[in-house]
Amino acid sequence: MSRLLRAVLVAGAVAAVTFNLVTFYVNGWPGPPGPAIYVITSTLVLLAYLVVGLVAWQVHPGERIGLLFTITGYALLLPSLTNLHYALPFTIGTITASLYQACLAHLALAWPYGRLRSRLDRAVVAVNYCWNIGNNAVGILFWNPRTNGCSAACPANLFLVDSSNRLQSDITNSASIVGICITAAVVALIAEHWWSARGYSRRAMTSLIWVAVPIAAYIGLLEVPGSLGVSNLVLYGIGPLILIAAPAAYAIGMFRARTARGAVGAALVGLEPGPAPALLRDALAKALGDPTLQLAFRVPDHRCYVDTGDLPVDADPLPAGRMMTQLDPGARAVLVHDDELRHEPELVRVAAAAASLALEHSRLRAEIQTQLEQVRASRARIVEAGDTARRRLERDLHDGAQQRLVTLSLALGIARSQAAGSHPELEALLESASKEAREALAELRELARGLHPAVLTETGLPGAVQALVERSPVATAVIAVPAGRFPATIEAAAYFVVSEALANVAKHAPSAAAQVMIRQRGGQIVVEVSDDGPGGARPEAGSGLRGLADRVASVGGALQIDSPPGCGTRLRAQIPCP
Amino acid sequence: MPVTVPAEAPLRVVIAEDAVLLREGLSRVLTEAGMEVAGATADAERLLQLVATLSPHVVLADVRMPPTQTTEGLQAARQIRQQWPGTAVVVLSQHIETEHLFELLADDPRGVGYVLKDRVADITQFTDAIRRVAGGESVIDPEVVSRLVARPRRDSPLQTLTGRERDVLALIAEGRSNQAIAGQLWMSAKTVETHVGSIFAKLGLAPAAQDHRRVLAVLAFLRC
Repeated sequence: MSRLLRAVLVAGAVAAVTFNLVTFYVNGWPGPPGPAIYVITSTLVLLAYLVVGLVAWQVHPGERIGLLFTITGYALLLPSLTNLHYALPFTIGTITASLYQACLAHLALAWPYGRLRSRLDRAVVAVNYCWNIGNNAVGILFWNPRTNGCSAACPANLFLVDSSNRLQSDITNSASIVGICITAAVVALIAEHWWSARGYSRRAMTSLIWVAVPIAAYIGLLEVPGSLGVSNLVLYGIGPLILIAAPAAYAIGMFRARTARGAVGAALVGLEPGPAPALLRDALAKALGDPTLQLAFRVPDHRCYVDTGDLPVDADPLPAGRMMTQLDPGARAVLVHDDELRHEPELVRVAAAAASLALEHSRLRAEIQTQLEQVRASRARIVEAGDTARRRLERDLHDGAQQRLVTLSLALGIARSQAAGSHPELEALLESASKEAREALAELRELARGLHPAVLTETGLPGAVQALVERSPVATAVIAVPAGRFPATIEAAAYFVVSEALANVAKHAPSAAAQVMIRQRGGQIVVEVSDDGPGGARPEAGSGLRGLADRVASVGGALQIDSPPGCGTRLRAQIPCP
Repeated sequence: MPVTVPAEAPLRVVIAEDAVLLREGLSRVLTEAGMEVAGATADAERLLQLVATLSPHVVLADVRMPPTQTTEGLQAARQIRQQWPGTAVVVLSQHIETEHLFELLADDPRGVGYVLKDRVADITQFTDAIRRVAGGESVIDPEVVSRLVARPRRDSPLQTLTGRERDVLALIAEGRSNQAIAGQLWMSAKTVETHVGSIFAKLGLAPAAQDHRRVLAVLAFLRC
């Protein structure tokens, strides 16, 4: 709508309202000015149609509904022309007195976007227009205002052919029957529109039903001769207020569409981050007011789509009445919805943007989750590979160097026994060589143990922990160790926790007493090593503890150190154990 | 179970050790020490067959042997003691693991020895250990015992023992008889008896007359 047109229409609306108010008080018809209610009612109705029409036109320039409201507003002004005591406007006003009814029927059948849907609609609307004008045009030929209670003050009827009151009354009565039939046809078509409406437009059609029924009833009542005895004050003074229902309903619809955009946000904010697609679909369907909405994903390397329940979606080609909105440039995810939603492009755009954000969030989350799992798995593999290497080294030492040293010791022993008595110097030499070999063996034994204790693999935690405690230079008590066997990585983690903890006690609190407790509880193995030393240990100090935390984390556990100054130290590892 | 060996006949031994050189070395040492090496093998399964057919007086078995290289020797030793009570077993280990030791001794410590491989360097001591086990005694490697005795302890009755009593305690744990202890510590059998009584009283252990019972009692005490 151009600025000029808008200015003209707004000025026209102001003029119409002014005209209505002024003429009523200046002239008054039929007879002297009646109660103020007549002018207030008609002005309110007029204003409602013009204001809603102009606003709707402004908001949805591509739709004709605003124009229809505006035209209906002006049509509502036409009967007021009879208030001018000049023959021509009086006559025009009389002929077009019920044109607004045809406009209302048009409005209802074109609801909510201003388009008539079918030929039948168009035919009914056209017939209705012709009927409304024609009926009055014929009636006026035989209607003399002066003999119908409008004294000498009334202007002349320019089209008067014959002042036959009887003829005029017959025409009016038969016309009423036709009028009621046409009104009934309009109501039937509206009902059909409502019935066939699906998805998004159903809501708009439902609001029309609430409006059309009382308006049609009111207009029907006007058609009935004598109006079933309803007084003029009610019929013309208060009754027209019913007409305001139509612009009011439309205005509410517009307001709803506007708040619906906000509702899209609210609906999606209500979802937890990265929602399941089915939940996202439900939220979108609710926000867009289209229960038939489908959230569909393209099957990779195919053109077909499936919905959130993996059922195929008709997307290529789309069935009639459906519309597709892409959620990403490659159309990998789309919304398939009622095509009435094309009248709410802004709403759909907001919903699509929110949906693609939510999907993107889900995708990123899934990606991070996958990466995290990969990192976890690789960390576990690294620790396991380290353990395997240590085990192999220990075995190589045992089967290789240690075995050879034992054999060497034996050979030295044999040599010594042969040298005994005869070669005292050689015997002393062999004795010292034997001692060296024994010490080398002892050192190698401890080295192999440190790499990987064979007793852990062979007998499990109790024996291995016992061995640690027997070796520790710290007075240590074993409170509890579960007797069963666990997966090797878990046993190794628990073992190294005890080993590292006891080594730390020996280093930082050699005179303390320590306690070792390993318990299996609720799918977890809890390893606890505590001492009554000076406390104050800092977890970040020492690479041993860091390495230990890594090892525990590699099996999905957590390491915790509790060391208040003066109150001893407690190292606690919780390791999940299925 | 007591092991009976005729005094005049040479001790019949079967060796199970997977390292060839060591196996041959051991075989030579034992032969030179006047024993008869009736058979030698590299794995536990064959060992059981040899014991069944040769009925040796003593079996010398490595803890770790093929196929799994874990504790086959130990398992075989237990089985031999159960199945052939007339055959004593000396287990050779490269580890000081009391877990293994207790597993071995738990059934019955008589005729069982747990000796570190290092011990082969002193041939006299080594062959003596084999003879003692064959004679039905228990032999626990001195290094294992000394580690248990030396463990740091808090509020333990062990701290009330005198130095001499500790020496006696260690020898008891090694499986020695009162007579042997008396010989080794240069004291009379009477004095040893007094020390033993005092030790058992201080540690709160029930007095045990038989050697094999007191070995277990003392070891269990030291291990806690």
